Amino acid sequence: MIKIKNLSKFYGEKQVLNSIDLEFKKGKAYGIVGENGAGKTTLFRCISGLETHKGTISSDFKKLKDHLGLLLTEPFFFSKITGREYIQLLANSRQIKLSSIEDKNIFDLPLNQYASTYSTGMKKKLALTAILLQENSVFILDEPFNGVDIQSNLIITEIIKKFKELGKTVIISSHIFSTLADTCDEIYLMKNGEIIKKVEQIDFNDLESEMKKFTVGNRVDKLLNLN
Amino acid sequence: MKEYFQLQFKMLNRSIIDFGLPLLVGYALLTFIFILLSNYLFEKTEFANYIFGLLSFFFISKLNAPKRNDFLKSIFNKQKYRHLRIAENIVYCIPFTLFLLYKKQFVFSVILNVLIIIVTLFNFSTNINVTIPTPFSKKPFEFTTGFRKTFYLFPVAYFLTFISISVNNFNFGIFSMLLIGIICFSYYSKTEDEYFVWNFNLSSKEFLFEKIKTCLLYFTLLSLPIIIALSISFYKDIAVLITFFVLCYAYLSTIILAKYSSFPKEMNMSQGILIAISFAFPPLLIIIIPHFFSQSVKKLNTILND
Repeated sequence: MIKIKNLSKFYGEKQVLNSIDLEFKKGKAYGIVGENGAGKTTLFRCISGLETHKGTISSDFKKLKDHLGLLLTEPFFFSKITGREYIQLLANSRQIKLSSIEDKNIFDLPLNQYASTYSTGMKKKLALTAILLQENSVFILDEPFNGVDIQSNLIITEIIKKFKELGKTVIISSHIFSTLADTCDEIYLMKNGEIIKKVEQIDFNDLESEMKKFTVGNRVDKLLNLN
Repeated sequence: MKEYFQLQFKMLNRSIIDFGLPLLVGYALLTFIFILLSNYLFEKTEFANYIFGLLSFFFISKLNAPKRNDFLKSIFNKQKYRHLRIAENIVYCIPFTLFLLYKKQFVFSVILNVLIIIVTLFNFSTNINVTIPTPFSKKPFEFTTGFRKTFYLFPVAYFLTFISISVNNFNFGIFSMLLIGIICFSYYSKTEDEYFVWNFNLSSKEFLFEKIKTCLLYFTLLSLPIIIALSISFYKDIAVLITFFVLCYAYLSTIILAKYSSFPKEMNMSQGILIAISFAFPPLLIIIIPHFFSQSVKKLNTILND
C-alpha cells in the first residue's frame, strides 16, 4: 500500500501540488485524470522520489523506488542504443537477469535497431516492456496509451488487468476514458494541483460526460464567439 | 535569414551565460583559448594545417546533423536553405580561416572554405538503420553509445602505437594510450537523464563504485594491446608507462565523480576549472577526488533515495 499525506510541491513560489491525500492499495488500478498542467506528472515524480516535496509518502517497502516501474510520458533514449540494450540496461540497473528478451518482446519491436529511431508509439512500447521486465510491484504509467496502436492498446489493457490479479498496484494517467474505465478501480480528477473528485467504478459511466462538462464547459462557444 | 542568424547568436550568448560567464569574458576567453591552442598546434607539428582542417570539419559537423537540416528544409525553401547552410558553414569557420590567413596559409584557407561549401551540397539521410556492433552492449550505456560514436578512433590509436614502436619513439606510444584515455573520458562528459540513475536499486556509494569499476575495466581492455606492446618494446620505461596508466585511472574516476557531483545538472564552471588545473598539476587529484566523491554522494542521495 502507498499512503500519501498532505503532499504539496512548489516550484519557486508557484504551488503545483496542494495538500494531496491519496491511498493506493495492492491489486488495484487507479486513474489520475486532469487537463494539461494539472499536476499529474509532478505527482508521479514525487511518488517516484524524483522530486522533493512537503508531506509524506509511505509504503510497505523500505525504498518504494526500488519496486516501482515508472513509464514517463516521453521516455528518453540515448542516441546509439538498441532496443535490446535499453531493456538490458533497465534490467541491469535492478540486478535482474534476463534469460531471453525475444520471448518477452510481446509488441514485436525491432530490438536490434537503435531505439532513438523508433516511432513515438514504439518508444512507448519499448519503455513499457523494459519496466515490465523489472519485476516491479508498483507501476506508474504516465499516458501509456499515447501514440500506441489499437492492438498494443488492447495488450496494455490486458497487462494492467493481469497485474491487478497478481496483487500489483497500478497508477495510470490517460486522456482516453475508455481505457481507464476498462482497467481502473478508482479515478481521481485533478485540477490546479488538487484532487477535486474521486470517482468509484460504479460511477464510471457518467465520468466522460461529467469530465466534458467540467473541462470543456462553454470554452469552445467563447472561442467561436457563440455566446 | 537575418532573423535566423540573430537567433543563432542569441543561442550562443545563452550557452555562455548558462556556463556561468559574463558575455564579454566568455568571448574573450574563447578567443584566447582558440589562439593559444592553435599556436601550440602550429608550433608542435608540421601537419598542423591538416589537423586544423579536420578540427574545423569536426566543428561544423553539428551543423550537418540530419534532423537539424530536415527541420531547416521544412521552414525554408530550397534556395534559401542552400544559401543559409553555405553562410552558416562559412561563419562558423571564420576563426579557422582567419588563423590560417594569419599563418599565411592562403591556399589552404581557400581550399577549406571550398570544402565546407561542398559539404552543404550533400544530403545526409536520417534513416540509416545500421547498428554498429559493440563489445560493450551488456553494461551501462556510456561505453555502448560512446564506442559506437568513436569506434574509428581506436584503430588510429593502435596504429600510432605501431608507428611509435617502428620509429622507436616511446613518447608517441604513451600518447596513443592517452588517446584511449581521452576517448573514454569523453564518454562521461555529458550528463544522462536522471531516469537512468533513478532506476538503480543501489546506494549512492555502490552506484559510484559500480560506474568507476565498469569504466576502468573497459578502459583497461581497450588499452591492453597498447600496454602489452609498449611493455615489450620499451621495457626499460615500464615505470613511466605504469605512471601514465595510473594517471588515466585517476582522471577517469575524477570525471565520473565530477559529473555526478552536480547531477542532474551539467558540470559547472568551477568543476571544469578544477579538472583543468589538475591536468597541469596532477597531485591536486588527491584533494579533488574525495571532494567530488562526497559531493556526488550528496547529489545522488536525493535521486536514489538513499
